[in-house]
Formats: sequence, C-alpha cells, structure tokens
Amino acid sequence: MTLAELKPGQKGRILQIGALGPLKRRLMDMGVVVGEEVLMVKVAPLGDPIEVLIKSYNLSLRKKEACEIQVEAV
Amino acid sequence: MKPGAGIQYAEDRDSKKSNETITLAVAGNPNAGKSTLINSIAGTRLQVGNWPGVTVEKKTAFFEHDGRKIKLVDLPGTYSLSPYTQEEIIARDYLVNEKPDVIVNVVDATNLERNLYLTLQLAELEIPLVLALNIYDEAEAKGYRFDLEALSSMLGVAVIPTTATKREGVKALMTAALAAADSPRQSIPKPITYGDDIERAADAVVGGLSAEIPEALEQYPPRWLALKLMESDSTVLERLGMPADSRIVADAVGHLRKAHGDDMEALLADARYAQAAGLTREVLKKPDIRKRDLTEKIDAVVLNRFFGIPIFLAAMWLMFKLTFDISKPFADWLGAMISGPFKRAAEALVSIMQAPAWIASLVSDGIIAGVGAVLVFVPVIFAMMFFITFLEGSGYMARAAFVMDRAMHAIGLHGKSFIPMLLGFGCNVPAIYATRMLENPKDKALTALLIPLTSCGARLPVYVVFIGTFFASQAATVLWSLYVMGIALAICVGMVFKRMIFRGDAPMFIMELPPYRMPTFRSLMIHTWEKGKHFLIKAGTCILAVSIIVWFLLNMPWGVENKKDSYLGQVGQVIAPALKPLGFGSWEAGSALLAGLVAKEIVVGTMGEIYVKKEEEGEKKEAPPIREELAGIVTSFGEAVKSAGMNVVSTVGIATISSDESEEKMAERMPLREELQKQFTPLSAYAFITFVLLYMPCAVVAIAMRQEFGTWKWYGIAFAYQIVLAWVVAFVIYQGGKLLGLGG
Ligand SMILES: Nc1nc2c(ncn2[C@@H]2O[C@H](COP(=O)(O)OP(=O)(O)O)[C@@H](O)[C@H]2O)c(=O)[nH]1
Ligand SMILES: [Mg+2]
Repeated sequence: MTLAELKPGQKGRILQIGALGPLKRRLMDMGVVVGEEVLMVKVAPLGDPIEVLIKSYNLSLRKKEACEIQVEAV
Repeated sequence: MKPGAGIQYAEDRDSKKSNETITLAVAGNPNAGKSTLINSIAGTRLQVGNWPGVTVEKKTAFFEHDGRKIKLVDLPGTYSLSPYTQEEIIARDYLVNEKPDVIVNVVDATNLERNLYLTLQLAELEIPLVLALNIYDEAEAKGYRFDLEALSSMLGVAVIPTTATKREGVKALMTAALAAADSPRQSIPKPITYGDDIERAADAVVGGLSAEIPEALEQYPPRWLALKLMESDSTVLERLGMPADSRIVADAVGHLRKAHGDDMEALLADARYAQAAGLTREVLKKPDIRKRDLTEKIDAVVLNRFFGIPIFLAAMWLMFKLTFDISKPFADWLGAMISGPFKRAAEALVSIMQAPAWIASLVSDGIIAGVGAVLVFVPVIFAMMFFITFLEGSGYMARAAFVMDRAMHAIGLHGKSFIPMLLGFGCNVPAIYATRMLENPKDKALTALLIPLTSCGARLPVYVVFIGTFFASQAATVLWSLYVMGIALAICVGMVFKRMIFRGDAPMFIMELPPYRMPTFRSLMIHTWEKGKHFLIKAGTCILAVSIIVWFLLNMPWGVENKKDSYLGQVGQVIAPALKPLGFGSWEAGSALLAGLVAKEIVVGTMGEIYVKKEEEGEKKEAPPIREELAGIVTSFGEAVKSAGMNVVSTVGIATISSDESEEKMAERMPLREELQKQFTPLSAYAFITFVLLYMPCAVVAIAMRQEFGTWKWYGIAFAYQIVLAWVVAFVIYQGGKLLGLGG
C-alpha cells in the first residue's frame, strides 16, 4: 500500500521510499523516513495534494510523490 | 573518528579582538521565526539584496552591540543542507566558504525534533553556534517542558529560549553570540556520532584525502567533507573535481555498502534523525493529552472539501480589492501632485533660469512625467507587499497553495502561482515581484512568463476608448471577452511552455503547512518598507530613463511640426506594414503601440496627441500662490486617506475592473473618438485591442523581471512570444472576421 492510498484519519508506518535522488532526499529531509508513523489528515478539495501529520508537524505533498512511499496500515 | 582532524581545522579560530567586526550567520527552518527575530535585533538597519547569481533574497545588517561591531547575515530558511535546492546550497556555501564567526541557529520550540535535524548538520561545520529556542511562548502554552541545561550540554552550545514576537530573550541571545565569538573553541558544537561503522569509514576518507588532496582538508571541515563525499554530494564532488566513484571513497565505504545497501544518504539521514529523536526525548516533556489546537480548528473550515475553495476565492478577492483600492487614492494623489504643484514648480524654476524650450519640455514631459510614472506604482507595491507578507507570515499562503495546486499544476504551475497571477489583473508589476514567494526557479519563471497575459488595469483605458467608440451596445460582453481570452491563452501558453522550455521533472510539491500564527505589525512594516524602498531606488531609475527615451523619440528632432516626422513617427512608419494584415497598418497606430511600451495606458494618450491637433496655447493656467499650493497638497492627501478608508469599508462595486473614466474625460475624448471612427472598423478595432491585450509587457514589467531574475532572459522570452502571439491572434481575428464577412 502506498501513502496516497491511506484514508483520512488512517495511520500508517513507512516501509520504503521508492523515489530516488533529489525527491528521496527531500522527503527524508522533511522527516519522511522508514519506520516513521504518518497520519493521513486530509485530501485537498480538488483531490490533490494530500496533508499528512509526520514527526508532529503537517506536511503536504502531491499524490504522485505519495505514491512513491510504501506504508503499512497501523 | 579521532577528534584530532577537527580541532586542527578549527585551530585558526582565535577570539575576536574587540574592534573587529563579528559576523553572525542566522540559520534555521522556514517558519521558525527567523525573520521576526532578525527584525527585532536589527530592525530597519537591514539591507536587502540578492545572493550572487540567484534570486534568493539576502539580508544583511551592520550595527553595534555592547560596543562591538556586528555583521548579521540572514541565510535562506532551509530544512537541511542537501545539495539540491538553491537555498540549501547558498546556506551551505556561505557557511563553509565565508566561515562566519558564529551561527545563530533559530529553532522552533514547538517542533524540536525536525528542527534539530538541521542543527545537527550545522554542528558538523565546526563553526561556533548558539541556539535560539524560538516560539518559546507557544511551546510553554502547549505545556512543553524543556531541560535547557541538558540540551545545552548535549549539543555543547549555549541554548537561549526566545520569543521573537515579544522580543524576549533577544538580548540574552546577542550576549551569548558575542561570548561564543570571544571563545570560539568552547562554542563549537559537539559533532554527532554515527556509530562505529560510519565513523571508521569517515576516518578512512579523511586519511585518503590527506594523502591525495591535502588542500581540501584546509579548505573544508575534514569530517564534514568526508561525510559529504560518502553521501556522493554532487556539489562537493564538483568543487574538488572528483568523480562520483572515486577510489578514496569507494574503498572506505565498501564494507558499509555490503552491510546497509547502496544508499549512504539514507543511512546518514537515518542516523541524524535517530540522534535528533534521542535528544528530543531527553530534553523535552510533552503533556500526555494533546488538545485540538487552533490550527486544526481553522483548517477544518479553511481546507474543508466544500468550503475550501469558496473561502480561498473570497480571501483572494478581498486581498485584491484591498491592495488596489487602498493604494489607488494614494496613487491618484501622487499623480495629481506630480502633474500639478510639482510640475508647476519645476516649470517656474526652468523659466526663471531661462532655459531653452526643449529643456523645459524635457523637464516637464520627460523627467517629471517619468517620476510620476514611478511614484504611482509605489502605493500598490507597498500595499501588495503588506498583504503577501501577512499571508506568508500567518501561514495561510501554504494553505492557498494546498487548495489551488491541483488546478494550477494542470498548466505546469505551482499552487502558489495563483496569487501572483491574480495580482496581475490589477497590475503586472507587483505580480512579478510576488513571484518571489515561489521557491522553485522553474515555477517562478513560468509564472512570470504568464503574468503579462492577465489583463492589467493600465490596458483598461485603451479598451474603454475603443469599446465606447465601436461597441457601446455590447460593452460588457466585449470587455469580458478580452479578460477571458487572456486567461485562456495563459492556460494554452502554460501547457506549451511546460513541454518546451520547462521539460524534465516537474518541480516537486513537498511543503510544510505551518501552524497559523499572527505576524507582528513591526515585522510586516519593516518588510513592506524594505520592498518599497528597493522598488523606488532600483526600478525608479530605470523607469525614469525609459520615460526620457520615449520623450526623446516623440519630440526629436526638436521642433517637428508633424508627429509623423518625429523619431517615434518614423519608427511607426517602419512597423506599419507589419501591422497591415491585422487591420491597423497606419503609422499612427504603430507609433501609439510603440509608446505603449512604457505603460499601456499611454497608447490612448499618444493616439490623442497624434490624431487630434492640440490647442496648446491659452490652456496654461496661472499657478496658484505658494500657500494655496501647499494647503492643496495637504487637503488632497487627507482626501486620499479618507477615500482609501472608504474603499476598505465599501468593498462592493468593482471599481478597479470597471471603467473609471468620468463623463468629463469621455467628453474630452470625443475628438479622438471621431478620428478613430475614421481610422478603424469595428473588426479592426477589436483586433487592435486584442493586440494591446497581448503584445509585449510594459517597460516597468521588464525592469521588475530583470530585478527578480537577475537577467534579461525571461523578459526577452516574454517579449518575443507575446509579440508573435499578439500578431497571430490579431491576424486570425481580422482575417477570419473578413472571411466571415464581418467587414474589413
Ligand atoms: N508565538 C510566536 N510566534 C512567533 C515567534 N516568532 C515568530 N513567530 C511568528 O511565526 C510566523 C513566522 O515567522 P517568520 O519570522 O516569518 O518566520 P521565518 O520563515 O523563519 O522567517 C510569524 O507569524 C511570526 O509572527 C515567537 O517567538 N512566538
Ligand atoms: Mg522569513
């Protein structure tokens, strides 16, 4: 399952980041690292991007980027 | 690793002599309150410029504190020191190349862990550091409890709690920073330990470097350099002229790769996060129950599935109205002052000095008109900067991007691009300056290229004259069609540019949604003032020059009877044939379009001058006596304030979009209208106003683009594509219309 598939209010744990290079580094620098718990907060009114809670702050990213992040529901 | 190498590198740091300037570099995450803190330290002593070669803002301030000379440098806000974003590269290069005396690391106390991730990277640079634990008030209100001594001893640096908005802790922070400059070796942070495997590899890299490129170890902190090389950091490799697979590194990390896989970057990031999380656990106690905070409550409404977009549009409409309605009376007042008392005074002066006629004309029609052209932009730039700064500081800007991103992304833009594009309908100039809010250079450039297609207020007088003359019965429809055409073309052009100029990876959209916070009034004012001043000085001189050039073109050779023989008329004659297929191939139309390069509303004025013989004599009024003149200035300013206030109250009535030509002005334009009716048909008139909508951005936009991007490149592209677009669209309209039998 990817981060983009979590439902609002659902929690997941990051298993793997599929992206490479700058995108991966950027995600890591924003706290999106393997083992971290994420809470899906919201989907934007037009359906993209999404808002998640990670490391106790709110982060938004496009679904395309969220698809690169494998999670397991917890 | 042995501490030896690091100490060696830091050895040359001596404490500062009391008369030497101490350089403080302020670093921190975006939204940690860096700007607010700097404003409360340096206030109006800040100087704003750009980092060399890029468009990222650089703020510096020189001042004295406790009798010591201080240079304060504001580094761009960053989450990390990776080599991928402009901001991060700038911050990093500054720190390793310029070696400031002390880093002041501003940390958001309500978000300690993520902020410490940057702190730990800063710590590796072996530069004395003091930590400002900012937004301390909010953290305390949330019930967070910090063990400041533990944090300080674990990091090996001074930790000062601050509340920048109330200017609390700022004095203590400065004292700590000066103390760190005075005893640098005691203030270099303890580096984080990555575990034996990584440490051993780093040692091996340092060893390899000292054998092969020893210079590098003097230039950069050795351990940092080794870690960067292990991460295959592209900028560092490039600086050292090393290949990505250099043997020094490959040998050292071979066993790491076997144990942990290929991704050294991830390995090191994980280690830093582990350390940041560990530190946070030790020094911060959070209350067990978390209250639903204000930000969540506001977001539940503002980002709501159904209300999100209407609320956003309403907020934008309000901002647009306030920006242009507040500034308009002041712009009008400034305009009236320049063309009234100021011009009369200058003319009086010129005539006292018995200067020749052409000088008198240069002064009043060239220079003073140019000064006027600059000043009328000042109120709108101030107003716009004020609101943009508010939107950014309050945290709403990130929400605006969140709400709009889907729609804007479709044409290759970023969610935030919506705001500059919207401002463009008022005036393209502040819109170009507003692209500053976009971090990614691609997003920024594409937005700036599309802004000129939003029909600004200055084009309105042109439409109004033509629509009033040819389409009086369907005025609203025709006017509306022009705005819609601009938007539709912006969408098409955006899609084309996205594929042509901005090929490759779309910039990513990974953005923090910071908690809502109230920006301080002081901070807003300082920021607004900086921007306004910047515009006045830089853009002002350029616009003045352009306006003098146009005066020259229009009036030289001196004494021309017929405008056709002026330089402008001559150029008009040259370009007229190119405009013929569009239905307005006369030298008059050509010259008027050319003059519109300065500002599009000038098209109408120039046409008036060319088509209608002016009865100049006898129009000169006696200047009122000085005392009345001064009284007039004051009372009319009062009127402007009142009217700005009224505009804020009555935000109804779309004054900025609808025509504001008075009856009187309409009557004044009668002769011009009659003349236009002889020169244009309704079809060629429509082609003409379409052309005015689309053809090249005005000179002030050019200067704004130059200022924002540091090169003429983007203006060049905008100029070229718009000329072509305008020509093609006007051609299709005119020739297509003729084919359909709409009359030539
Ligand atoms: N409560 C509180 N708010 C703060 C403090 N420092 C800054 N802010 C607010 O945080 C927001 C972001 O601050 P700003 O200085 O623009 O952050 P920057 O992105 O780091 O430059 C603004 O609304 C500030 O008023 C503080 O110490 N306490
Ligand atoms: Mg700031």
